Amino acid sequence: MSVLSDIAAEVGDDVRAAARAPVESLKDARYTLEGIREGRVSAASVLKTAGITAGAVVVVALLLFPLYWVAVGAFSGTGASLYSSSGIRLWPAEPTIEPFLWVIGDLILPSYRITVGLGGYELFLQTPELAFLDVSDYGVTETSNFKEFFVNSLTVAIPTVILAMCLIVPGAYALSRRQFIGRSKVLYGYVLFTQIGGGLGVALLIALYALFVQFGFNDNKLALSAYYAATAVPFNTWLLKTYMDGIPVSYEEAAMMDGAPSWKIVTEIILPLSKAGLATVFIFTFLTGWTEFVVAQTLLSTDNYTLPVGLYSLVGRYSIPWARFSAFALTFAAPIMLIYLFAQRYIEGGLSFGGMEG
Amino acid sequence: MSVVDSAVEKATDNPVVNKEDLPLLLVLPGLFVFLAFMLFPVMYLVYLSFTNAEPATLFQGKEQWVGLANYVTVLTDGQFWNSMWVTWLFVATSVALKVLVGIGVGLVVTGARVRGKRLMRALIIIPLGLPGIFTITIWRGIFSSAEFGLANQLLRSAGLGSVAWLSERWMAFIAYNVTEAWLAYPFMVIITVSALQDVSEELHEAAMIDGAGFFARFLHVTLPSIKRPVLFASILTAAASFQQFLIPYVFNQGGPSRTNELLIVYGYREAFRFQKYGEGAAIMLVAVLVIGAFMMLNVWKGRLADGVDDA
Repeated sequence: MSVLSDIAAEVGDDVRAAARAPVESLKDARYTLEGIREGRVSAASVLKTAGITAGAVVVVALLLFPLYWVAVGAFSGTGASLYSSSGIRLWPAEPTIEPFLWVIGDLILPSYRITVGLGGYELFLQTPELAFLDVSDYGVTETSNFKEFFVNSLTVAIPTVILAMCLIVPGAYALSRRQFIGRSKVLYGYVLFTQIGGGLGVALLIALYALFVQFGFNDNKLALSAYYAATAVPFNTWLLKTYMDGIPVSYEEAAMMDGAPSWKIVTEIILPLSKAGLATVFIFTFLTGWTEFVVAQTLLSTDNYTLPVGLYSLVGRYSIPWARFSAFALTFAAPIMLIYLFAQRYIEGGLSFGGMEG
Repeated sequence: MSVVDSAVEKATDNPVVNKEDLPLLLVLPGLFVFLAFMLFPVMYLVYLSFTNAEPATLFQGKEQWVGLANYVTVLTDGQFWNSMWVTWLFVATSVALKVLVGIGVGLVVTGARVRGKRLMRALIIIPLGLPGIFTITIWRGIFSSAEFGLANQLLRSAGLGSVAWLSERWMAFIAYNVTEAWLAYPFMVIITVSALQDVSEELHEAAMIDGAGFFARFLHVTLPSIKRPVLFASILTAAASFQQFLIPYVFNQGGPSRTNELLIVYGYREAFRFQKYGEGAAIMLVAVLVIGAFMMLNVWKGRLADGVDDA
């Protein structure tokens, strides 16, 4: 749990820093103004800095504009596109969260009836129906299949993570700490694959599909998880191995002096010290299963569609307004983006070669 | 077997190792699963490319060995050569665009007079954290001919007419390039920024004293210092462009009328749309060989796998 609390602390730091940023920049501005008044800084130089910074802000804004445009689309009323003027809109017309209600749909836990037989008598317990959100209250009658896709994605991504961790962690430990026959060959192969093998997935798709069908594995989510775990092995093993390389050997030597068996060194020293690396690998492998599209689309049938395939199935369906499509896409992508943004520093810690702290 | 010898020697030298090659057992499960899902399909793909496999025959085990017939069919097909040509054209244009955007944005977010650089850098690499299918479906919306299409809205507000982006050949090609550039620019920016930070400050100052302007300094100081990392990034991103599948597939299936089918899309569609598994397999293998040769050339010339030896 210390990983979680660490992450929470980092997120807290980020939020505090973000909240303080306006105050800090205001202080800076006042300091600069004072400098101009006292003649320490020339006004022309300040103006030049401000102008160039404004230019940079424009560049950043233009690059990220597509994302903002999607958000505007998602919050627009579905009727808006029908009678819209053909201009670029910087603010949603008829702002509404109706598209998101369409995406999420009802959140209702149906009531269950639990019956216990007691020698002739029947005791039953009826749980109440828990309605967290009933979208028909808001005038949304039909809803998307987001929840079904979400559950499918979970049932693919969770086995992927479990299997991948089982394969990656021992391998990374052995590659980092032990010498054995073929070690450098395995490493070389893994690194080479991560650099050039990324697009091999689609090229292999024909063979993969034919094999899956012949083994009766197509439309099998567990088999898909195994495939994802397999493709995640080279990069993540190498990543975790480099992270473990950063843990000083002296810790292990000290433990060995004290007579600790080698399995205990692993569980008490190596694994706790590589928690940032483990967290990184965890996120990467989870996202492998969560975001992969091509293979999932080829192997799965409609009932088993994961979120990316579900998203694609909405493309070009004229019965689905753009507002609803972008709301669906955002609901899928925004959590991933947030994880990425907040975990960025944490992941960078995992990618760089720390290990002394902790 | 000097490799083995040295490994054994190291193993016996190292006091941490108890039993020499037992740790291999820890690596084998991962290696085995990886090979089962990668190497085995590769071998099967090679086999398929020599047969007349299609769904009707393959799944009853009735596919027949046809030797090199698939390769002959593919290599004499004008469609294949069109795909090959469009693919390399796409590699050239998209890599050029990516390098330009990467260096441009990299210069902007490292500029000496720019304030808030750290925040800008954090924001600018957001696209890296987005799932590919999200980004590409969104860009399909941008290039949509419907009322909401952003590209046409921009054109109209500039006083130009609308363009049917996805149903005209070169317009679709341009749309692919723009999308690919947006997908890949964070990677290019990261590489460029870290290279730009290593550019010697003294050289810049010396050039400034000699009266060199911004462009002269960029050309003679900055560019030579960032050339190697940017070249390295370009090679990697060229491979990504070559293997691009999702953009053409999601935008218009490589259309209009198969003109923009990049190689991988072509192979995919031959197999799954036109049910010719054998030909599709042959196309994929040719594509893999071409990109493999391209990468080998670069590994060999640019020492791409540096850092493995001391790993």
